[in-house]
Amino acid sequence: MLEDPADESSETPSPYENDPERPDFAFDPDDPWTQTFQEGLSRANLEGKTVYEVGVGTGINVAFILRNCGAKRVYGSDLDPRLVVLAERNIKSLSPEHAKHFEPVHGSVSLVDTDEAREKVAKTDVVIACIPQVGEPGDERLTAFREAQSIELAEGAGDEAEDHIAHYYPWSLFDEYPYNSVGLGLNEALMRRIREHAPKAELVMNFGCRIGTEIICECFEANGYKTEKIASKIVLQHAGTDISFFVTLEKALSGTGLEKQLVCKFYADPEGKQPLSATKAQQMINADPNVPLYHEVAVIRGVPV
Amino acid sequence: MQVSNTIDCNGLSPAPTLLRIMQALVGREDSASPLNVLVGADCNCERLADSLGELAEEVQLASDAKQFARIN
Repeated sequence: MLEDPADESSETPSPYENDPERPDFAFDPDDPWTQTFQEGLSRANLEGKTVYEVGVGTGINVAFILRNCGAKRVYGSDLDPRLVVLAERNIKSLSPEHAKHFEPVHGSVSLVDTDEAREKVAKTDVVIACIPQVGEPGDERLTAFREAQSIELAEGAGDEAEDHIAHYYPWSLFDEYPYNSVGLGLNEALMRRIREHAPKAELVMNFGCRIGTEIICECFEANGYKTEKIASKIVLQHAGTDISFFVTLEKALSGTGLEKQLVCKFYADPEGKQPLSATKAQQMINADPNVPLYHEVAVIRGVPV
Repeated sequence: MQVSNTIDCNGLSPAPTLLRIMQALVGREDSASPLNVLVGADCNCERLADSLGELAEEVQLASDAKQFARIN
Protein backbone atom coordinates (compact mmCIF):
# COMPACT_ATOMS: atom_id res chain seq x y z
CA MET A 1 0.00 0.00 0.00
CA LEU A 2 1.31 3.42 -0.80
CA GLU A 3 2.35 6.01 1.69
CA ASP A 4 -0.42 8.43 0.91
CA PRO A 5 -1.75 10.78 3.55
CA ALA A 6 -4.25 12.19 1.07
CA ASP A 7 -7.21 11.14 3.20
CA GLU A 8 -6.25 13.80 5.69
CA SER A 9 -7.35 16.55 3.30
CA SER A 10 -7.28 20.10 4.52
CA GLU A 11 -10.41 21.98 5.36
CA THR A 12 -8.62 25.22 4.53
CA PRO A 13 -10.16 26.81 1.43
CA SER A 14 -7.92 27.05 -1.61
CA PRO A 15 -6.27 30.47 -2.00
CA TYR A 16 -6.52 30.13 -5.79
CA GLU A 17 -9.41 30.90 -8.10
CA ASN A 18 -8.84 27.67 -9.99
CA ASP A 19 -8.12 24.22 -8.59
CA PRO A 20 -4.88 22.58 -9.72
CA GLU A 21 -5.08 19.56 -11.99
CA ARG A 22 -4.14 16.45 -10.05
CA PRO A 23 -4.04 13.26 -12.11
CA ASP A 24 -3.41 9.91 -10.41
CA PHE A 25 0.31 10.02 -11.18
CA ALA A 26 0.81 13.18 -9.10
CA PHE A 27 1.14 13.57 -5.33
CA ASP A 28 -2.02 15.11 -3.87
CA PRO A 29 -1.42 18.87 -3.45
CA ASP A 30 -4.05 19.19 -0.68
CA ASP A 31 -2.53 16.78 1.83
CA PRO A 32 -0.99 17.84 5.18
CA TRP A 33 2.52 17.13 3.92
CA THR A 34 2.12 19.96 1.40
CA GLN A 35 0.55 22.23 4.02
CA THR A 36 3.53 21.67 6.32
CA PHE A 37 6.00 22.16 3.51
CA GLN A 38 4.39 25.44 2.52
CA GLU A 39 4.37 26.59 6.13
CA GLY A 40 8.13 25.99 6.16
CA LEU A 41 8.61 27.66 2.79
CA SER A 42 6.82 30.75 4.07
CA ARG A 43 9.45 30.93 6.87
CA ALA A 44 12.45 30.27 4.65
CA ASN A 45 13.13 33.89 3.63
CA LEU A 46 12.62 33.24 -0.07
CA GLU A 47 11.81 36.85 -1.03
CA GLY A 48 13.92 37.94 -3.98
CA LYS A 49 15.64 34.54 -4.10
CA THR A 50 16.15 32.11 -6.94
CA VAL A 51 14.76 28.72 -5.96
CA TYR A 52 15.05 25.25 -7.52
CA GLU A 53 12.44 22.63 -6.66
CA VAL A 54 13.60 19.04 -7.07
CA GLY A 55 10.45 17.01 -7.67
CA VAL A 56 8.13 19.75 -8.82
CA GLY A 57 5.02 17.52 -8.85
CA THR A 58 1.82 19.42 -9.64
CA GLY A 59 3.59 22.78 -9.40
CA ILE A 60 1.58 23.82 -6.34
CA ASN A 61 4.72 24.74 -4.36
CA VAL A 62 6.13 26.75 -7.26
CA ALA A 63 2.90 28.76 -7.45
CA PHE A 64 3.03 29.22 -3.68
CA ILE A 65 6.58 30.52 -3.46
CA LEU A 66 6.18 32.84 -6.43
CA ARG A 67 2.90 34.23 -5.22
CA ASN A 68 3.17 34.08 -1.42
CA CYS A 69 6.90 34.09 -0.66
CA GLY A 70 8.12 36.63 -3.21
CA ALA A 71 10.68 34.39 -4.87
CA LYS A 72 12.29 36.08 -7.87
CA ARG A 73 12.61 33.00 -10.05
CA VAL A 74 11.89 29.30 -9.68
CA TYR A 75 13.40 26.40 -11.57
CA GLY A 76 11.87 22.97 -11.31
CA SER A 77 12.30 19.42 -12.53
CA ASP A 78 10.88 15.99 -11.84
CA LEU A 79 11.73 12.36 -12.40
CA ASP A 80 8.33 11.94 -14.07
CA PRO A 81 8.48 14.06 -17.25
CA ARG A 82 4.69 14.40 -17.33
CA LEU A 83 4.76 16.36 -14.10
CA VAL A 84 6.85 19.28 -15.35
CA VAL A 85 4.35 19.82 -18.16
CA LEU A 86 1.50 19.57 -15.65
CA ALA A 87 3.29 22.01 -13.31
CA GLU A 88 3.64 24.58 -16.10
CA ARG A 89 -0.05 24.28 -16.86
CA ASN A 90 -1.08 24.54 -13.21
CA ILE A 91 1.12 27.56 -12.52
CA LYS A 92 -0.36 29.37 -15.52
CA SER A 93 -3.81 28.56 -14.20
CA LEU A 94 -3.19 29.26 -10.49
CA SER A 95 -1.01 32.32 -10.68
CA PRO A 96 -0.85 33.59 -14.28
CA GLU A 97 0.89 36.83 -13.33
CA HIS A 98 3.87 34.84 -12.00
CA ALA A 99 4.04 32.11 -14.61
CA LYS A 100 6.84 33.78 -16.55
CA HIS A 101 9.11 33.46 -13.52
CA PHE A 102 8.97 29.66 -13.61
CA GLU A 103 11.64 27.98 -15.73
CA PRO A 104 11.04 24.24 -15.99
CA VAL A 105 13.70 21.69 -16.81
CA HIS A 106 11.91 19.31 -19.14
CA GLY A 107 12.39 15.57 -19.43
CA SER A 108 13.01 12.97 -16.76
CA VAL A 109 15.47 14.41 -14.25
CA SER A 110 16.68 12.30 -11.34
CA LEU A 111 17.69 14.75 -8.59
CA VAL A 112 19.65 17.36 -10.63
CA ASP A 113 21.41 14.86 -12.87
CA THR A 114 21.27 16.59 -16.26
CA ASP A 115 23.47 19.36 -17.65
CA GLU A 116 20.56 21.80 -17.77
CA ALA A 117 19.54 21.02 -14.20
CA ARG A 118 23.10 21.41 -12.93
CA GLU A 119 23.49 24.69 -14.81
CA LYS A 120 20.31 26.05 -13.22
CA VAL A 121 21.01 24.75 -9.74
CA ALA A 122 24.39 26.51 -9.87
CA LYS A 123 22.47 29.81 -10.15
CA THR A 124 20.16 28.96 -7.25
CA ASP A 125 20.01 30.45 -3.75
CA VAL A 126 17.71 27.84 -2.21
CA VAL A 127 16.96 24.26 -3.25
CA ILE A 128 13.68 22.80 -2.01
CA ALA A 129 12.56 19.18 -2.12
CA CYS A 130 10.24 16.58 -0.67
CA ILE A 131 11.49 13.28 -2.05
CA PRO A 132 10.96 9.64 -1.03
CA GLN A 133 12.40 8.18 2.16
CA VAL A 134 11.22 4.61 1.70
CA GLY A 135 12.91 2.07 -0.54
CA GLU A 136 10.84 0.25 -3.13
CA PRO A 137 9.16 -2.67 -1.36
CA GLY A 138 10.31 -5.00 -4.15
CA ASP A 139 13.97 -3.96 -3.93
CA GLU A 140 15.97 -7.18 -3.90
CA ARG A 141 18.44 -6.26 -1.17
CA LEU A 142 15.89 -4.47 0.97
CA THR A 143 13.73 -7.57 0.75
CA ALA A 144 16.67 -9.74 1.80
CA PHE A 145 17.35 -7.49 4.80
CA ARG A 146 13.69 -7.48 5.80
CA GLU A 147 13.46 -11.26 5.47
CA ALA A 148 16.63 -11.68 7.51
CA GLN A 149 14.76 -9.98 10.34
CA SER A 150 11.67 -12.15 9.72
CA ILE A 151 9.52 -9.09 9.00
CA GLU A 152 6.64 -9.42 6.55
CA LEU A 153 5.61 -6.82 4.01
CA ALA A 154 2.05 -5.53 4.48
CA GLU A 155 -0.52 -6.96 2.10
CA GLY A 156 -0.56 -4.94 -1.13
CA ALA A 157 2.65 -3.06 -0.29
CA GLY A 158 4.37 -4.41 -3.38
CA ASP A 159 1.68 -3.16 -5.76
CA GLU A 160 2.73 -0.29 -7.99
CA ALA A 161 0.22 2.53 -8.22
CA GLU A 162 0.36 5.37 -10.76
CA ASP A 163 2.27 7.66 -8.42
CA HIS A 164 4.73 4.97 -7.24
CA ILE A 165 7.87 7.05 -7.92
CA ALA A 166 6.50 9.91 -5.82
CA HIS A 167 6.66 7.65 -2.76
CA TYR A 168 9.46 5.11 -3.17
CA TYR A 169 13.05 5.16 -4.39
CA PRO A 170 15.31 2.40 -5.75
CA TRP A 171 17.07 1.69 -2.47
CA SER A 172 19.98 -0.41 -3.72
CA LEU A 173 20.98 2.22 -6.29
CA PHE A 174 21.67 4.70 -3.52
CA ASP A 175 23.65 2.41 -1.25
CA GLU A 176 26.87 4.36 -1.70
CA TYR A 177 25.30 6.99 0.57
CA PRO A 178 25.75 6.05 4.24
CA TYR A 179 22.34 7.29 5.41
CA ASN A 180 20.67 4.95 2.96
CA SER A 181 20.74 2.53 5.88
CA VAL A 182 17.85 4.47 7.44
CA GLY A 183 16.03 5.41 4.22
CA LEU A 184 17.74 8.73 3.60
CA GLY A 185 19.94 7.67 0.67
CA LEU A 186 18.06 9.65 -1.97
CA ASN A 187 17.96 12.73 0.25
CA GLU A 188 21.67 12.41 1.05
CA ALA A 189 22.46 12.04 -2.65
CA LEU A 190 20.68 15.35 -3.27
CA MET A 191 22.59 17.04 -0.42
CA ARG A 192 25.90 15.94 -1.93
CA ARG A 193 24.96 17.13 -5.41
CA ILE A 194 23.93 20.53 -4.09
CA ARG A 195 27.16 20.82 -2.10
CA GLU A 196 29.05 20.10 -5.30
CA HIS A 197 27.15 22.28 -7.79
CA ALA A 198 25.73 25.04 -5.55
CA PRO A 199 27.94 25.10 -2.46
CA LYS A 200 26.40 28.31 -1.11
CA ALA A 201 22.78 27.28 -1.62
CA GLU A 202 20.51 26.55 1.30
CA LEU A 203 18.38 23.43 1.38
CA VAL A 204 14.76 23.42 2.55
CA MET A 205 13.45 19.87 2.66
CA ASN A 206 10.22 18.28 3.84
CA PHE A 207 10.44 14.97 5.71
CA GLY A 208 8.22 12.37 7.21
CA CYS A 209 9.94 12.01 10.57
CA ARG A 210 9.13 8.42 11.46
CA ILE A 211 12.87 7.77 11.58
CA GLY A 212 13.25 10.72 13.98
CA THR A 213 14.30 14.29 13.28
CA GLU A 214 17.57 13.73 15.13
CA ILE A 215 18.92 11.33 12.53
CA ILE A 216 17.64 13.50 9.67
CA CYS A 217 19.55 16.45 11.13
CA GLU A 218 22.58 14.19 11.61
CA CYS A 219 22.47 13.43 7.88
CA PHE A 220 22.45 17.15 7.04
CA GLU A 221 25.32 17.82 9.42
CA ALA A 222 27.40 14.93 8.07
CA ASN A 223 27.05 16.56 4.65
CA GLY A 224 28.10 20.04 5.74
CA TYR A 225 24.85 21.78 6.69
CA LYS A 226 23.75 23.23 9.99
CA THR A 227 20.07 22.61 10.57
CA GLU A 228 16.95 24.31 11.79
CA LYS A 229 13.45 22.86 11.98
CA ILE A 230 11.20 25.58 10.54
CA ALA A 231 7.82 23.83 10.45
CA SER A 232 6.28 20.74 11.99
CA LYS A 233 2.92 19.02 12.05
CA ILE A 234 1.60 15.73 13.43
CA VAL A 235 -0.32 14.04 10.62
CA LEU A 236 -2.55 11.02 10.42
CA GLN A 237 -0.94 8.10 8.66
CA HIS A 238 -3.06 6.67 5.89
CA ALA A 239 -4.62 3.37 6.94
CA GLY A 240 -2.85 0.53 5.19
CA THR A 241 0.53 2.25 4.93
CA ASP A 242 3.33 -0.30 5.07
CA ILE A 243 5.75 0.45 7.93
CA SER A 244 7.77 -2.75 7.62
CA PHE A 245 10.98 -0.83 6.82
CA PHE A 246 10.90 0.90 10.20
CA VAL A 247 9.97 -2.29 12.04
CA THR A 248 12.89 -4.02 10.32
CA LEU A 249 15.35 -1.35 11.50
CA GLU A 250 14.16 -1.69 15.10
CA LYS A 251 14.26 -5.48 14.96
CA ALA A 252 17.79 -5.46 13.52
CA LEU A 253 18.99 -3.33 16.43
CA SER A 254 17.27 -5.49 19.01
CA GLY A 255 19.79 -7.08 21.37
CA THR A 256 22.74 -5.04 20.09
CA GLY A 257 22.85 -2.53 22.93
CA LEU A 258 22.04 0.23 20.46
CA GLU A 259 18.25 -0.16 20.52
CA LYS A 260 17.69 3.11 22.31
CA GLN A 261 19.79 5.07 19.85
CA LEU A 262 17.29 4.63 17.06
CA VAL A 263 13.63 4.30 17.96
CA CYS A 264 11.17 5.20 15.23
CA LYS A 265 8.58 7.81 16.10
CA PHE A 266 4.90 7.14 15.69
CA TYR A 267 2.13 8.50 17.87
CA ALA A 268 -1.17 7.19 19.15
CA ASP A 269 -2.71 10.65 19.30
CA PRO A 270 -3.00 13.66 16.95
CA GLU A 271 -1.19 15.89 19.46
CA GLY A 272 1.93 13.73 19.35
CA LYS A 273 1.99 13.19 23.11
CA GLN A 274 1.80 9.39 23.13
CA PRO A 275 4.89 8.10 21.31
CA LEU A 276 5.01 4.60 19.84
CA SER A 277 7.89 2.63 18.41
CA ALA A 278 7.43 1.15 14.93
CA THR A 279 7.23 -2.27 16.55
CA LYS A 280 4.39 -1.19 18.82
CA ALA A 281 2.66 0.65 15.95
CA GLN A 282 2.84 -2.54 13.86
CA GLN A 283 1.31 -4.56 16.69
CA MET A 284 -1.58 -2.10 16.81
CA ILE A 285 -2.04 -2.31 13.02
CA ASN A 286 -2.03 -6.10 13.22
CA ALA A 287 -4.79 -5.96 15.83
CA ASP A 288 -6.81 -3.37 13.90
CA PRO A 289 -5.75 -2.37 10.37
CA ASN A 290 -7.77 0.84 10.66
CA VAL A 291 -6.27 2.03 13.94
CA PRO A 292 -5.39 5.73 13.69
CA LEU A 293 -1.64 6.30 13.90
CA TYR A 294 0.21 9.57 13.56
CA HIS A 295 3.69 10.78 12.77
CA GLU A 296 5.50 14.06 12.42
CA VAL A 297 6.13 15.85 9.15
CA ALA A 298 8.80 18.53 9.45
CA VAL A 299 10.58 21.04 7.25
CA ILE A 300 14.32 21.20 7.87
CA ARG A 301 16.43 24.04 6.60
CA GLY A 302 20.09 23.27 5.96
CA VAL A 303 22.52 26.16 5.75
CA PRO A 304 25.95 25.30 4.34
CA VAL A 305 28.66 25.58 6.96
CA MET B 1 22.77 -6.96 -6.85
CA GLN B 2 26.34 -7.49 -5.66
CA VAL B 3 27.51 -5.35 -2.77
CA SER B 4 30.92 -3.70 -2.77
CA ASN B 5 33.41 -5.27 -0.40
CA THR B 6 34.04 -1.89 1.19
CA ILE B 7 31.32 0.30 2.67
CA ASP B 8 31.64 3.85 3.88
CA CYS B 9 30.14 4.50 7.32
CA ASN B 10 32.19 7.60 7.99
CA GLY B 11 30.05 10.24 9.70
CA LEU B 12 27.35 7.83 10.79
CA SER B 13 26.46 7.45 14.45
CA PRO B 14 26.62 3.91 15.91
CA ALA B 15 23.03 2.74 15.24
CA PRO B 16 22.92 3.55 11.49
CA THR B 17 26.50 2.24 11.20
CA LEU B 18 25.41 -1.10 12.60
CA LEU B 19 22.37 -1.20 10.32
CA ARG B 20 24.51 -0.40 7.28
CA ILE B 21 26.90 -3.22 8.10
CA MET B 22 24.04 -5.68 8.61
CA GLN B 23 22.44 -4.63 5.31
CA ALA B 24 25.73 -5.04 3.46
CA LEU B 25 26.37 -8.48 4.94
CA VAL B 26 22.92 -9.68 3.84
CA GLY B 27 23.57 -8.51 0.28
CA ARG B 28 26.96 -10.16 -0.18
CA GLU B 29 27.38 -13.08 -2.53
CA ASP B 30 31.05 -13.66 -1.73
CA SER B 31 31.47 -14.03 2.00
CA ALA B 32 34.92 -15.59 1.78
CA SER B 33 36.69 -12.30 2.43
CA PRO B 34 35.72 -9.89 5.21
CA LEU B 35 33.60 -6.85 4.56
CA ASN B 36 35.72 -3.70 4.85
CA VAL B 37 33.96 -1.02 6.85
CA LEU B 38 35.29 2.52 6.78
CA VAL B 39 34.36 4.29 10.01
CA GLY B 40 35.07 7.73 11.44
CA ALA B 41 38.17 8.34 13.53
CA ASP B 42 35.91 8.80 16.58
CA CYS B 43 34.21 5.41 16.18
CA ASN B 44 34.37 3.15 19.21
CA CYS B 45 35.27 0.04 17.22
CA GLU B 46 35.34 -2.21 20.27
CA ARG B 47 31.77 -1.29 21.20
CA LEU B 48 30.66 -1.61 17.60
CA ALA B 49 32.19 -5.09 17.44
CA ASP B 50 30.32 -6.00 20.64
CA SER B 51 27.06 -4.83 19.06
CA LEU B 52 27.78 -6.87 15.94
CA GLY B 53 28.19 -10.04 17.99
CA GLU B 54 29.04 -13.03 15.79
CA LEU B 55 28.86 -10.84 12.69
CA ALA B 56 32.01 -9.05 13.88
CA GLU B 57 34.02 -11.99 12.50
CA GLU B 58 32.86 -11.08 9.00
CA VAL B 59 34.00 -7.46 9.02
CA GLN B 60 37.19 -5.41 9.19
CA LEU B 61 36.77 -1.97 10.75
CA ALA B 62 39.20 0.82 9.89
CA SER B 63 39.18 4.60 9.95
CA ASP B 64 41.53 4.90 6.98
CA ALA B 65 40.91 3.07 3.70
CA LYS B 66 44.68 2.48 3.37
CA GLN B 67 44.48 0.17 6.36
CA PHE B 68 42.36 -2.28 4.37
CA ALA B 69 45.18 -2.86 1.93
CA ARG B 70 47.46 -3.74 4.82
CA ILE B 71 44.88 -6.02 6.42
CA ASN B 72 43.87 -7.93 3.26
